[in-house]
Amino acid sequence: MSGLSRHYVVGVIGLAIGLALGLLYTWVIDPVELVNTYPALLRTDYRQDWVRLVALSYVANGDLEWARGRLQGLDQEDVATAVQAQIEEYAAGGRSADTLRSLATLAEAMGVHTPAMWVYLYPPTSSPPAAPIAPSRTPTSTPTPTSLPLASPEPTVPVPEPTPIPTPTPLGSSPLVTPTPAPMSTPPPPTPTPPLLARLHLAGQEQICEPGQRPHLEVVVTDERGRGVSGVEVWLMWSGGADRAVTGLKPQRGAGYADFNAEPGASYELGVGELGMPLVTDLQVRPCVQDEAEEPLVGSWRIVLGPRPLEGELEGESGS
Amino acid sequence: MDEQVRRFPKWTTFCVGGVVIGLALGLAVGWWLWPVQYTNTAPDVLRQDYRDDYMTMVATAYEIENDLQLARARLELLDPDVPSAPVTDLAERLIEAGGSAADIARLQRLAWALGALTPTVTPYLGDQP
Repeated sequence: MSGLSRHYVVGVIGLAIGLALGLLYTWVIDPVELVNTYPALLRTDYRQDWVRLVALSYVANGDLEWARGRLQGLDQEDVATAVQAQIEEYAAGGRSADTLRSLATLAEAMGVHTPAMWVYLYPPTSSPPAAPIAPSRTPTSTPTPTSLPLASPEPTVPVPEPTPIPTPTPLGSSPLVTPTPAPMSTPPPPTPTPPLLARLHLAGQEQICEPGQRPHLEVVVTDERGRGVSGVEVWLMWSGGADRAVTGLKPQRGAGYADFNAEPGASYELGVGELGMPLVTDLQVRPCVQDEAEEPLVGSWRIVLGPRPLEGELEGESGS
Repeated sequence: MDEQVRRFPKWTTFCVGGVVIGLALGLAVGWWLWPVQYTNTAPDVLRQDYRDDYMTMVATAYEIENDLQLARARLELLDPDVPSAPVTDLAERLIEAGGSAADIARLQRLAWALGALTPTVTPYLGDQP
């Protein structure tokens, strides 16, 4: 190697050493210090807490523009996750309907959509844009929401037992009957369909015996076609207490699913909608029937709540 | 010997020159071109207006959730030693600036719960001592 090229090699080595020293100093010893940061740079947990704080402030001041300003620049997914978690936590904690309604309003404004929100966003006189409930087969005079009660964690007046109203069989339902067109001047009076909540009853009950699981009560609310109905408020009541859940908060378990923990020895009642209308009474977790060799196991219950058939449907079924 | 003496300065020149240029490059890259990126910051390095928002929101959340431990934990991110200090400071600044009475009252209720009060803001507490 000639003397000149050796000098260049030494120069390059010096350059590398200098570069390394420079970077060590600027990145490790004396890095740029940010002191005027903004919420989007916060660590994920702090960022989500920021969103929660904004949501709670919105509950207090009701200023949507203010809330939007505080959430500006944040990742939409962060906002959605935090607001959704807060709604679910507050719903499970039995917070007031006003608080939940405010949170749901903010969530909707931020583009978050969860089944639990529908309960608070849409009062019983209106329907959500994509209600998960199938339309009734019986003609109705006015659109009647079949679920989605206004949530109210406080005990309220019991809902009276509904009286099913006979409904006309839809024309052309039987091939043996020639439909007679009704005169245009006297159309058959439309009969209102009782809402789904008022028609729910115990449609099935099954004991679940799975080792390693805490005793619990699974509730599935279904519509006429057996599809899960989300956004239904389910109450578990026992002597000296009550707990509430909303169906659909665990989408992986199905739209109509909700569950509660249960204690052996306690007797529970299960109701839907407004507190005070038990559909299932004297519900207790019991030991599973097992072989003597197996360890004793307390089973859980899977309760299916479905609508009672309307009288018209019963007549139609019995007549066919 | 003469040859070694003649070569030594040239070798040193190349080495020192390289180190100096490398150092300059390193400083330029590390401070301007490619500085340390802060993405996981804590609330204590937020800009002052965001810090003020944060404190006001913590006070509001305390009013709704009534969870003093959580409020204290949140404020400790701003001042681990005296969590109530930034709150009373903000309340006094809001009073001087003619800020929202509701915000001042919330901040002072939180400060009172944390055991810190200043004479300036006591009237905003209403019925509380």
